[in-house]
Amino acid sequence: MSIITEGPRGNCALGGVNAVLCAINRVVPIYHAGPGCCMQTTAGEAGQAGGRSPFYVSSVSIPCTNMLEKNVIFGGVDRLRETIEGAIEIFEADAFFVLSGCTAGIIGDDIVSITDEFIKKGLPVYPIETPGFLGESYRGYEIAFKALLTHIVKPAERQNNLVNLLGIMPYHDPFWEGNFEELTRILEKLGLKVNTFFTRHQGLADIRNSSAAALNIIISPWLLKSAAQEYHDRFGVPSLRWPSLPIGASDTSAFVRAVAKELGIEQRGEQVIAEEEDYVYSYLETAIGALSWKQFAVIGDANTVVGVTRFLANDYSFTPIVSIVTDPVFRPEDIERITEQITKLDYARPPKVIFETDHWKIHKELENYKDKITLLIGSTNDREFALEHDIQCSVISYPITDRLIFNRTYAGYKGSLTFVEDLFDNL
Amino acid sequence: MTINLDISTAGTREQRLGSITGYNGDLYDLANQSKCGTLKDRERCFSQSSTCLSSCALGQLSGIRDIAIINHAPSGCTVTAAGVEVLNAQLATKRGVANNTVFIGTDMNEQDTVFGATDALKDIVRETYRRYQPKAIFIGTSCVSGIIGEDVDRIVEELKVEIPVPIAPVHCEGFKSRIWASGFDASDHAVLTSIVKPPEKKNNLINFKNFFESARLEIIELFANFGVEPMFLYQNSTIEELSHISESLATVCICGTLGTYLGNALEEKYGVPYVRTINPMGVIGFETWLREIGRVINKATEVEAYLEKEREYYLPKIEEVKKEMKGLRAVIGMGPGYTFEVSRVLLELGMEVVWAAAWHYDDKYDNEKAPASLNYLLEKSPNNFKVSVADQQNFEVLNILNEHQPDIYFSRHPGTTVWAIKQGTPALYVADEYMIFGYRGTLNFAYSVLDTIKNRSFEKNLAARVKLPYSKWWYQQKNSTFLKEEVK
Repeated sequence: MSIITEGPRGNCALGGVNAVLCAINRVVPIYHAGPGCCMQTTAGEAGQAGGRSPFYVSSVSIPCTNMLEKNVIFGGVDRLRETIEGAIEIFEADAFFVLSGCTAGIIGDDIVSITDEFIKKGLPVYPIETPGFLGESYRGYEIAFKALLTHIVKPAERQNNLVNLLGIMPYHDPFWEGNFEELTRILEKLGLKVNTFFTRHQGLADIRNSSAAALNIIISPWLLKSAAQEYHDRFGVPSLRWPSLPIGASDTSAFVRAVAKELGIEQRGEQVIAEEEDYVYSYLETAIGALSWKQFAVIGDANTVVGVTRFLANDYSFTPIVSIVTDPVFRPEDIERITEQITKLDYARPPKVIFETDHWKIHKELENYKDKITLLIGSTNDREFALEHDIQCSVISYPITDRLIFNRTYAGYKGSLTFVEDLFDNL
Repeated sequence: MTINLDISTAGTREQRLGSITGYNGDLYDLANQSKCGTLKDRERCFSQSSTCLSSCALGQLSGIRDIAIINHAPSGCTVTAAGVEVLNAQLATKRGVANNTVFIGTDMNEQDTVFGATDALKDIVRETYRRYQPKAIFIGTSCVSGIIGEDVDRIVEELKVEIPVPIAPVHCEGFKSRIWASGFDASDHAVLTSIVKPPEKKNNLINFKNFFESARLEIIELFANFGVEPMFLYQNSTIEELSHISESLATVCICGTLGTYLGNALEEKYGVPYVRTINPMGVIGFETWLREIGRVINKATEVEAYLEKEREYYLPKIEEVKKEMKGLRAVIGMGPGYTFEVSRVLLELGMEVVWAAAWHYDDKYDNEKAPASLNYLLEKSPNNFKVSVADQQNFEVLNILNEHQPDIYFSRHPGTTVWAIKQGTPALYVADEYMIFGYRGTLNFAYSVLDTIKNRSFEKNLAARVKLPYSKWWYQQKNSTFLKEEVK
């Protein structure tokens, strides 16, 4: 049933699929959708996640049937066919994905029969049925992975040093590129080759070959469950689920140990940990006392909330008060896993954990803690609350409309230093 | 008269005005065909993303202070609401007021598409009123609510009985129109039918339809010379203020595309004169516009005295900068309310317009007359230039830029500006609607053009390294390749 959505912290399913496809080099989405869908999905997703527009094809350059009333009444498949034909002529691309929006979904246009016509001619045109009303951004992320697995990933010979790094959603995580880059850097130090699908102009070849990986590393407490299953069942690729973004020495070292154990390279793992921890603490010791002690609240996606709560409590002696997860997590076991990660801390007293998507209710909750909190870490939506109550505020989760973000990251070893720098800058 | 305030929808520009989104030709042909009524729309057999009228309709209304917008739509259609609230807060703070408007979506899901969601919508409206106590509630429709046939008009009538503030439907289903400016009309229609009251007494205000009132102080100062005050619409307006706009002395607008519905309706229904000259951009535009205001409010002498004083200060400076601009070649891609006005300003500054693209074209406005800007260009432009009409269509713009290699590209949409720069063309994003307003704006605009053209380091370096997605084949075609023959 419909619910009130104020200050939404996600897009529709179409927006989620689009965010994924636009992050893959030389891939062109083709919308079979209303005239506003490309703009809403691009402006809503990439535009509100650090203020950029995706690099190859995005927003005004996305082919779209711009479905009008007559298409609603008479169907739009002929219009779709000519739009695909035009797109193939105009664009240089390794693959085209036809995405159906709400309008095409409701009137029941059969996009698969159209894409099949092109497939038969040997052209890489694939269907993804993704009416926006199916769900929000993360649903789109899962749908996109399902489509990549169905149409792109092919069996390949096992490569023992290859891993797929998954779970960090392009654009919806405003720091996705930086997060991938830092975790890739660490994994490469372990002697691994890393497929992220999205960074460093990786593309279809890397996705196709992802079945060769020795391990999927999924950085998320709840996403890509079915994709992991499919990698396992079809290609025998096992998965290691890491239930948050690792931030700082404690969590990142635990992450490295887990990966190293899984791949039987424990000794190399300990070397990397020693070097990296020395690196981090050599810096931290030069700015002791720069930040005063804080009692903090954190609001955002599960990866960020778990990662930030754990880093600030376990590594930086801050006190967590309340952690609010805005992802629409629905499986009880995922809620339990996230709650456990936030509450089983090495040092601090556990914070109150809340799962809530409604902006109004989130702020009603915050009202209860406003006298305790001295640091609020959230989205642009939350800055006003912090200003009103004279609380220090750091904006690090979607939506972010007041920061420009290229490759900044708070993940891993190096990212934790950047996080501390940024907290100081926001004093 | 094309406007009917007795029904719940403004209709689309295609239906009401015969507006088009497909044309490829030149200025003289377009203006002549508009005059003779022979202009026909042309469809495309390939298209890129357009824009939704819903964002224009609800975007305009969401600037009004302390109201609630409820978008009866799936989550994605409301995704930029967070940004709207940030923008509102910033623009209110800039002016020293508070704006507590909320922008809410109903998050329609798959079940709703099967069983309908009118009961849920009613509950959401009630809950919204309870939570935020808004001064008015506007309920926007969407592709989904339209296709499944949600009777929002009926819901509104039922809720009016229990909720003591104005409630209005805003019919802005995305599939209704290829012309997003139809959304401006939908917002005006909602305001006119639910908020504006018949006049009781005349006041001293001039309704000023604009986007973000960025020249607020400048215009207050300007109008003070003639003893009148501007009433900016709709950003930062209150419901109380809007209820009285029928009592104003006149309505003016920064953009003919934005103003046609409200301006003509207020004139038709309440006798508020609508100033329909060319826009107040460039020297000639500003003087023509201000003189007409002077005539309407009986302050012609004061206007002449003001203009004389200002001319003395600004004209020598504008003449000086024009020397550097002579012969610079420009391509323009904007909404039609700006395309032809900016073309005129560029000609005034001594530049050459090599191609003007308009995102749609109204060959008449709601007074059933052609836009003043076209008539002006037809009479005064020293030479003909190429014109196309396209609902953005980025691939056509990039083809035009590649073929004509202009010194500069002007746009009023950030997306298309970005792509021009990626292709190596210096581009100026005319984001602020007042960027070329009056003498001072015109002079500053000229300086901005020169700044953009003089240092092209970023465009050159970027274009040399970035790989664009368009095929070589496409750049060898005519930009009109995908236009079909005339329809209608």
